[in-house]
Amino acid sequence: MNETVLKRLEKLNQLALTEEEEKAFLAFYAEQEEEQKALAAVNTEEVERMVHVMPVYTVVRDDVVIKMFEREDLQKGAPETMDGYWQVPRLVE
Amino acid sequence: MKDYEIVIGLEVHVELATNSKIFCSCSAKFGGEQNEHVCPACCGMPGMLPVVNRRVVDLGMTAGMMLGCHINRTTTFDKKSYYYPDLPGSYQTTQWFAPVAVNGTVEIETSKGKKAIRIKQIHMEEDAGKLVHDDWTDTTLVDFNRTSVPLIEIVSQPDLSSAEEVVAYLERLRSLLRFAKVSECRMEQGSMRCDVNLSVRPVGQKEYGVRTEMKNMNSISAIERAIAYESARHIDAIENGTEELVQETRRWDDIKGKSFAMRNKETAGDYRYFPDPNVMPVVIDDAWFDTIRDSLPEFPEVKRVRYIEELGLGEYDADMLVESRAFCDAFEAAYAESGLAKESANWLITNCMNLLNRRQMTTDMLSINGKALGVLVKIVADGTVSHANGKKILEVMFDEDIDPKKYAEENGYIVSNDTGKIVEVVRAVIAADPKSVADYKSGKEKALMALFGKCMKELKGNCDPQLLRATILENL
Ligand SMILES: [Zn+2]
Repeated sequence: MNETVLKRLEKLNQLALTEEEEKAFLAFYAEQEEEQKALAAVNTEEVERMVHVMPVYTVVRDDVVIKMFEREDLQKGAPETMDGYWQVPRLVE
Repeated sequence: MKDYEIVIGLEVHVELATNSKIFCSCSAKFGGEQNEHVCPACCGMPGMLPVVNRRVVDLGMTAGMMLGCHINRTTTFDKKSYYYPDLPGSYQTTQWFAPVAVNGTVEIETSKGKKAIRIKQIHMEEDAGKLVHDDWTDTTLVDFNRTSVPLIEIVSQPDLSSAEEVVAYLERLRSLLRFAKVSECRMEQGSMRCDVNLSVRPVGQKEYGVRTEMKNMNSISAIERAIAYESARHIDAIENGTEELVQETRRWDDIKGKSFAMRNKETAGDYRYFPDPNVMPVVIDDAWFDTIRDSLPEFPEVKRVRYIEELGLGEYDADMLVESRAFCDAFEAAYAESGLAKESANWLITNCMNLLNRRQMTTDMLSINGKALGVLVKIVADGTVSHANGKKILEVMFDEDIDPKKYAEENGYIVSNDTGKIVEVVRAVIAADPKSVADYKSGKEKALMALFGKCMKELKGNCDPQLLRATILENL
């Protein structure tokens, strides 16, 4: 992680971090990298690849429609809505 | 000028025929009022947990098997990050590391013969929402109805080399997936769309040329035009240096007949794929795998041959039937019941088709009880019910699951062999219409038809036409 990578991530996520926040993030990532190095030093040759911490598989549901929420309730916290749409700043393609 | 070869790979998105969405229980139905089919999960609200719809995995596997793929028995979901308001979580849950199906083939046939197109992979994923640009308020309006509607993406290898091959490939995919009831594959409704990756290279060159991608193509004719334009643009750029080709995403404008560069597409690395910790890996055990394998339909071309060679249908009839799985199912059930192949096919191809057209429905929307259709075919063929009354019964069968024979009895549609009744009606009609009688006697053949029609109406169509004609002539 360095300043260039962080700037790129900011852009990809449409974030505008303050200088202070950037410093804090860089420090945080530097710490993470140290931890990663420590992990990488461990011999994992015999260890199987794992996606999840818990050995839980195939959590599936039946294909049944259940309507539990009304649009009005879902949009209560929205800063702006219009005619049942969420309303966001115009996007330029 | 050198000879150039066009290299095309397709990414085809197909909306799956499920009732509910991929990770929540909201309706996956097309249309609806904006944001009617939404819940906190598909709106990307924090803390919601996705739960996979089993049917999506069923259909993903089905598609994989239909396209000759290897099925990954442990299949996992991953997050693909990008920030855009049509994706409320700012990531799409898709499959990157272990997609449900890999390494398949689709055989196509063009004017140049047969060719196998390799399938790289099929992955399951969620669709994005819809954005509407509102000029009046100069804002963007967001509709999440389509968000999380299940899709599969079928990724081909760059094995296609002309618009003709692309069209043949898409039609083949469409036919197979509709047959297996994976999707309706209706391009005009957006349930099938495709991204076209295209490059050109001089014939004989091994390395690929610079590749461009045209996204979200949703009509066959537009795809043909786009391929013609884009390949000509590439060749022109290489031959004449008209422009420098760059790897990019382009938008096809079908009205202008041109492609335009879009915002620089982020490369794969920028999507920052990583395993979605909220969606558990799906393990497909033998029982599940076998259930899906055993439910696969006969391929349309196999059915076609069987219909012609074993059941004696004509080529035209067989072609019409194998256009649609619903027609094949109804035909096979009607034939099993009646033992009358040609008649069963005829009822579907003419009468059912007419009704569907009148109701502006597609052949896949046919939902008639095939066994009952067989009964109808039989009672019309053996003269129990007239053809005209049979058509009336068919229309009722479109809306209700009735027993056609019982319905005919209850509604007076049984052809009468009661000659006494026929003679009585004929005499009454003749007595009431001396003009037609006089016309007939003065040589006007048409007048006989008028009398015939009146008698048939009186008898509610329940009379053998030959018998009626003879009875009228006898009484004139
Ligand atoms: Zn939902």
